[in-house]
Amino acid sequence: MQQHSDRQRLIVVGNGMAGINTVEQILKLAPEAYRITVFGSEPYPNYNRIQLSYVLEKSKSIDEIILNSREWYAENGIELHTGTTVTQIDTAAKTVETADGAIAPYDKLILATGSKPFMLPVPGADKEGIVGFRDIADCETMLEAAGKYRKAAVIGGGLLGLEAAKGLLKLGMDVTVVHLLGELMERQLDPTASHLLQQELELQGLKFAMGKKTEEFLGGERVSGIRFGDGSTLEAEFVVMAVGIRPNVELARESGIATNRGIVVDDLLRTSADGVYAVGECNEHRGVSYGLVAPLFEQGAVLAKHLCGVDTAPFAGSVVSTQLKISGVEVFSAGEFMDATDLTVVRMHDEWRRIYKKVLIRGGVIVGGVLVGDSSQSARLQQWIRTGAVMNDEYHAIVMGTAAAPAGSGAAELADEEIVCGCNGVTKKMIVDAIHERELTTVDEIKLATGATRSCGGCKPVVEQILKLTLGDKYDSAAAKQAGICDCTPLSRDEVVAAIKEKGLITTKEVRYALDWNNKEGCSKCRPALNYYLGMIWPQEHADEKDSRFVNERMHGNIQKDGTFGVVPRMYGGVTTPEDLRLIADVAVKYNVKLVKVTGGQRLDLLGVKREDLPAIWSDLGMPSGYAYAKALRTVKTCVGSQFCRFGTKDSMGMGIVLEKKYERLDMPAKFKMAVNGCPRNCAESSTKDIGIVGNEGAWEIYVGGNGGIKARLAELLCKVRTDEELIEIVSAFMQYYRETGKYLERTSDWIERIGLEKVKAVIVEDAPGRKALADRMEAALEQVKEPWQEILDNPNLRERLFGEIRVPAVGPKE
Amino acid sequence: MTREQLEAEGYRLAGTVEQFPERIGKLLRLGAIEIAVFKTTEGEIFALENRSPGPRGGTIVDGIVSGEVLYDPICDWRIGLADGAVQAPDRGQVAAFPVRIVDGDVYIGRP
Repeated sequence: MQQHSDRQRLIVVGNGMAGINTVEQILKLAPEAYRITVFGSEPYPNYNRIQLSYVLEKSKSIDEIILNSREWYAENGIELHTGTTVTQIDTAAKTVETADGAIAPYDKLILATGSKPFMLPVPGADKEGIVGFRDIADCETMLEAAGKYRKAAVIGGGLLGLEAAKGLLKLGMDVTVVHLLGELMERQLDPTASHLLQQELELQGLKFAMGKKTEEFLGGERVSGIRFGDGSTLEAEFVVMAVGIRPNVELARESGIATNRGIVVDDLLRTSADGVYAVGECNEHRGVSYGLVAPLFEQGAVLAKHLCGVDTAPFAGSVVSTQLKISGVEVFSAGEFMDATDLTVVRMHDEWRRIYKKVLIRGGVIVGGVLVGDSSQSARLQQWIRTGAVMNDEYHAIVMGTAAAPAGSGAAELADEEIVCGCNGVTKKMIVDAIHERELTTVDEIKLATGATRSCGGCKPVVEQILKLTLGDKYDSAAAKQAGICDCTPLSRDEVVAAIKEKGLITTKEVRYALDWNNKEGCSKCRPALNYYLGMIWPQEHADEKDSRFVNERMHGNIQKDGTFGVVPRMYGGVTTPEDLRLIADVAVKYNVKLVKVTGGQRLDLLGVKREDLPAIWSDLGMPSGYAYAKALRTVKTCVGSQFCRFGTKDSMGMGIVLEKKYERLDMPAKFKMAVNGCPRNCAESSTKDIGIVGNEGAWEIYVGGNGGIKARLAELLCKVRTDEELIEIVSAFMQYYRETGKYLERTSDWIERIGLEKVKAVIVEDAPGRKALADRMEAALEQVKEPWQEILDNPNLRERLFGEIRVPAVGPKE
Repeated sequence: MTREQLEAEGYRLAGTVEQFPERIGKLLRLGAIEIAVFKTTEGEIFALENRSPGPRGGTIVDGIVSGEVLYDPICDWRIGLADGAVQAPDRGQVAAFPVRIVDGDVYIGRP
């Protein structure tokens, strides 16, 4: 390790979003300038405090909201002391002292001590069961309380209070929001918007005690209720105080630094002490202490530039915008929001659809706006307010919803230096450059590369527009949309699968409710996908949901364009007998089948079978279903191989039959085709199969990821094995890995390009214990499969449910 | 209303409410006409002619039911169960049959 004794020493007190964001920006501007030490009282690295409400709702884990891992600090040479509180600053000697007595010298010091919840100074406020909502520890207390108590009260009807209340409601508590004034979020919303918001939240189950002044907390050691100024009381076993925040100024004040409500700073974030700065919620700039993330990051940007000697415009205050982050309620507010005589107001209030939109204009310039019930134009509105755009007919039509927003035009209007992601200070130019330089194609990739959309996510529509605009024809809306598995949810496949496991969800309905689908009944995209994921994750517990199966998989036949079905019985390895052929021919005649087709998978398709005849034809055939309709193993194509062929070195037919019998019927993300060849001449065409196996003298070669369909792709060599047992273990592990990581409907050809062949090799070939575990899970899944035709024949209820018909004479019966 | 009165209005008894599974279409043959009958999660029953409105033809009885919407199994269009109208961005119409439920019995009328 190099010693950097020539570098200046920078100490950051406070390991939260404002402090670390400043550090990140310093590292970008001048990575060699400082030796950086960070002290934080909490035991965690920097996490996304804005998303604590998600942790409370259990839609994210603590790990998921960590913004900078401990590795990040190490990689950037930052000395991190978590769980360490700084108790004293000696501004003359330029040193800080920690609670354990250690002393550290600095050249520059950044105070980013944040704020704490303001606790009402009323009698009983020190009782057990009364907490603030500020950090992970509070969140944990709240989660614990939800398990033990039922009646909760949240004092404060502002942004934080409502988020906390909704979180507790979701955890099953009976929650009342107590608010001093008559209107919720009165610092961001006008009375109309407040009332609309209150109605929405009441519909979701929250209760409200409005205009109530808390005077005393009742109870013994633990709180049992609240008494209000009007003499009324409210039962409450658990109380969250969210009436406001207080900047943490004690350290600065005791060290002789000028403080007011917050630590006083100038436009370059300088405090009264030389070399000492304050950034974030702890400071007070021109009389204002900000409590929202965007202004804090703007401060961080100014401070970072100043500390790195880069020219910067001073911080001159911020337009504050707010987006309520509670599910099911769309509320947005930015800039001015109350009527005033010098303002022109555009207002739309649709009481039936419960939508309220308001744009405030002063001297032709848009200076504020409020959106409730439909915040789809929030990014655009915010941008107009920030840039001081002049109202015109086009903008009016867009925000009022009377004209479709022109796609991409918002992004085109943005200047290069315009900040798109206010949370992370990412400009349009930074995004465009990243797209070009790193060949990015999705919003998720932009998030990783630039940080845009990482915090509140409000700028995602604009980022997507920029992506679209930058890529032009290369923009792939399917790839861009991959975040959400369908229009019912913004969650990606991986997020859904993780939540299913973590929350133990076992029906598609539970998934849609627990993960807050906006269409609670789902759609034709997510219903079959969820049914697959649930069956894959819980092979024993999940009961297949026929109503979420696509027609072919529900009826176990291939529907044709005239409403008849194709019936394909199994013909393992493409091998049949004269007896079976005779039976198939007889059945085809009996049911007046329109056509018999030899398929590409080496078997016979009986086409034109009537829906009502399906069970009978299955019964007459007495053969298992060939699954020619399913997202499952279709066939294992084989060549003649060593049993007859003079070139054959391996028994391809024998191995094909073994594999087809072993893996048939198991649900896969998409259809799955295999082939086994007895020699490298490859007559069974291994190179276009999901798994293609080629026999050699003394070895099997295993090729994967081939596809002969819409997007042709040649299979690539995964590995070579010697024995049949090794072959089967590799095939099992490969198929199971694909089942566990594939997106529904994603063929192995796309999947392997997404995951990477090297990664697949590492998992399947190089990691023997991992391979064994995958193969074991495959065995557990295989134990659950049933022959579907026989199951329907054996189960009269199921048969009636799927195939039962009702016949009614056209003319009513005469009695 | 009695069965006689309903039949006089052109309704035909199709069965009991319990005979219709939730979210799985039931095929009803009214003479030569095929009708697809759907019961929603809410227990409402709707009847549409069993014919896809899409350009490729086919039947709709085995489509996926979501609320009061049916996803056409052939073309994946969204069809309103109540009125048989295809929802935007696609356009089309399926004949919808009126349904009456009296004392747990389901009657299907003329479109």
